[in-house]
Amino acid sequence: MLEINKLSKTYDGGKRSLTDVSLTAKEGEVTAIIGPSGAGKTTLLRSINQLIVDDSGEILFDGQDIRKLNHRQLKKTRSKIGMIFQNYNLIESLTTIENVLHGSLARKSTLAGVLSLYSKDEKQEALQLIDEVGLADFAFKYCSDLSGGQKQRVGIARSLMQHPKMMLCDEPIASLDPRSTTMVMEILRRLADEKHMMILINLHQVDIAKEYADHIIGLNNGRIVFDGATATATDRDIENIYVSDAPVAVG
Amino acid sequence: MISKPEKQLGVVPASRPVMPKLNLSFRLKDKRRRTIYGVIMLLMVTTLATVPTIIPKGVNLVAATQGLIDNIRIMFLHPAVSNTSFGSLVGALVQSIALAFLTTLIGAIFAFFIALMASRNLAPRWLIDIVQSAMAFVRAIPTILWVLIYSVALGLGANAAVIGLTFHSVAYLVKVYADSIDELPKDTLAALRAMGVGFWPLVSQVILPTVMPSFLSWTFIRFEINFANAVAVGAAAGAGGIGYQLFMASGFYFDFHEVGMIVYLILAFTIPLEIISYKLRTRYIKRAGK
Amino acid sequence: MEIRQSKQPNFFLKKRVRLSIMIGLLGVLYVGAAVILNFNSAAFLYLDRGMIWLFQNFIPTSQSITYWYSITQALLRTFVVAVAATSVAGVLALVLAILGAKSTGPSRTLSWVIRGFASIMRNIPIVGWAMLLLFSFKQNDFTGFLALLFLSVGFLTRAFMETIEDVDVEKIQALQVTGASYLQVISQAVLPEITTPLISWLLYMIENNIRDATLVGLLTGTGIGFVFDLYFKSLRYGPAGLVVLAIIILVIAVELVSNYVERRIAA
Repeated sequence: MLEINKLSKTYDGGKRSLTDVSLTAKEGEVTAIIGPSGAGKTTLLRSINQLIVDDSGEILFDGQDIRKLNHRQLKKTRSKIGMIFQNYNLIESLTTIENVLHGSLARKSTLAGVLSLYSKDEKQEALQLIDEVGLADFAFKYCSDLSGGQKQRVGIARSLMQHPKMMLCDEPIASLDPRSTTMVMEILRRLADEKHMMILINLHQVDIAKEYADHIIGLNNGRIVFDGATATATDRDIENIYVSDAPVAVG
Repeated sequence: MISKPEKQLGVVPASRPVMPKLNLSFRLKDKRRRTIYGVIMLLMVTTLATVPTIIPKGVNLVAATQGLIDNIRIMFLHPAVSNTSFGSLVGALVQSIALAFLTTLIGAIFAFFIALMASRNLAPRWLIDIVQSAMAFVRAIPTILWVLIYSVALGLGANAAVIGLTFHSVAYLVKVYADSIDELPKDTLAALRAMGVGFWPLVSQVILPTVMPSFLSWTFIRFEINFANAVAVGAAAGAGGIGYQLFMASGFYFDFHEVGMIVYLILAFTIPLEIISYKLRTRYIKRAGK
Repeated sequence: MEIRQSKQPNFFLKKRVRLSIMIGLLGVLYVGAAVILNFNSAAFLYLDRGMIWLFQNFIPTSQSITYWYSITQALLRTFVVAVAATSVAGVLALVLAILGAKSTGPSRTLSWVIRGFASIMRNIPIVGWAMLLLFSFKQNDFTGFLALLFLSVGFLTRAFMETIEDVDVEKIQALQVTGASYLQVISQAVLPEITTPLISWLLYMIENNIRDATLVGLLTGTGIGFVFDLYFKSLRYGPAGLVVLAIIILVIAVELVSNYVERRIAA
């Protein structure tokens, strides 16, 4: 269970990015955050694991306020949160399996991590995850040789290796073709259904959100303008998220 | 670092269809051109003022040039060994190569760890400033002086030569290694950190595999430089090797046949090195390699 | 779910073996090189000694400070000689590079000749040049000037040639098809494209040549290298330390100026 209360963020230079954002996300559900570019979607998502440090508010994950954790506790909590990115952020000079194994580094001792000493079980698990995302034939290929959709699936397998309770997906399909988009979204949907995971996705494709998400949050100009179950959201509601598009306040 | 010029020539915006006034000084209007002309002028004035003062008075330049050409001809057309044996020259060459290898390897190891403290991607600003300033200081002292300085403390010989040459290698490699690490995308590092990956695993799993090709190219370039330095140090600090042989042949025996043989031996090693280094550089380092 | 058999079961083992062999090989080469040189690795424990020596002798004493004026005079002299040698080399190298570059040169044969010439010039050790020139031109600044000049010509020709070859051939052709003559194309298309890297190579070479001038001076008995050698060999470490300090100040000043210039000329 993730509960965000009155989160706000102002960037250096006075650009206000988030204003009193509150939301709730549940295990086993896909929550889509939609809204126009510059609405603050990325800032919101990255605040959750504190990649971006916000100014005020509360982020309750597993009953703890992430914002109040010390360095060591934050590291521990972060390891339970998977994250995938628009540009994948893989190490392209390594193979698929090595990238996936990176997901287990947080659990290992520093020395084992430095020397790449992975156990047989870890390697086996990595191979299984690679198979689950449909890349069994590419396990030992270098990531620089993979297509965008394949790279994103490696990214998913890498975060699954962390044994996460929650997945943060920052525009995961923005650079993908339609076929890869379907594949990636179906994997994410399956993770929510079968592994009871909490999935948060930033999207700008409304149709994709409607098709795969249980819950839609509309963000515009740093404020929540819609929050409701996908089933109850009317076309009018969705349209309003974009129509209420006010010019982004600068300075 | 070296980027393409010609991007700031005054283009009149479409909304203002006014003919720009042409006058002769338009070339000096922008900062970039003024700087370029300024630098060229300064170099020209310095050169023109200096060259006349260094023409030696007591030397017949025509005769000296003639002598130089004769000696070069002897060197390249009639190489021979007379004061020592070919085998000992090869041995001396191997010594210089060993010196270059040792100082490059030790330098690369030190430089790697120091570079982690000198990269924007890994270290705080204050630490970077301290490390980079220290390296600029080390670089500013000529290699040969480092060797001589350490020869006071350690005695003239291999120990002083290795340490002296290593100093410069470290300072040079820290700069280029840190630049390579800076080129890594910040986002990727942030992503791995968010997964809970600690500093040293991050270095070994992310940084090393990504920057390895450019590290290797730079290290190889440094090996070339270190070989040249090893030859120089051998001559000027009496540290042995092919440089010392060269110094003896030319400055003691005045035997240019032997100088020729030594130069051929050195070229036989450095020219293949240069070709390999060029291949590595064009393949792995995008910008011009210094 | 059944896992498909991976095609490379020994992937990690192979990788580790490769790495171990590499490290082992480097270790063996290290030991071999140390034995050949008679180098004692424990010497690194005495790193502090050189530093202490330096900083002790950097502090001018009432005795060593009397040398400051003559040191700066010699250094200034070395500096202008290095600048002059680099500038003259720059002009020669530019002509050679234009004639030798694949995109602007008249013939393939000439290109190879110039390439070979540049390579030989820069690969003959500076000791070789210095001693060869000393024999003919005797002990004076001109010898140092020529030694730096020869080395720099080789180095800069190579660098300029690579820079010219980086210029998009289509830009050159675009001007050629307008009917511009060879020299017009060079001056209007090639030169403007390469000015920035050209200047930064020159500045880099000047920095390098100040350091090399010290070495040449040591060998040929001229300039700042000679002054250092004189004090050093007569065990006057105070003034020798001041020489090092003066060189550091000059080189860092040149480095700062060239960084400033490079920032201003970067487009």
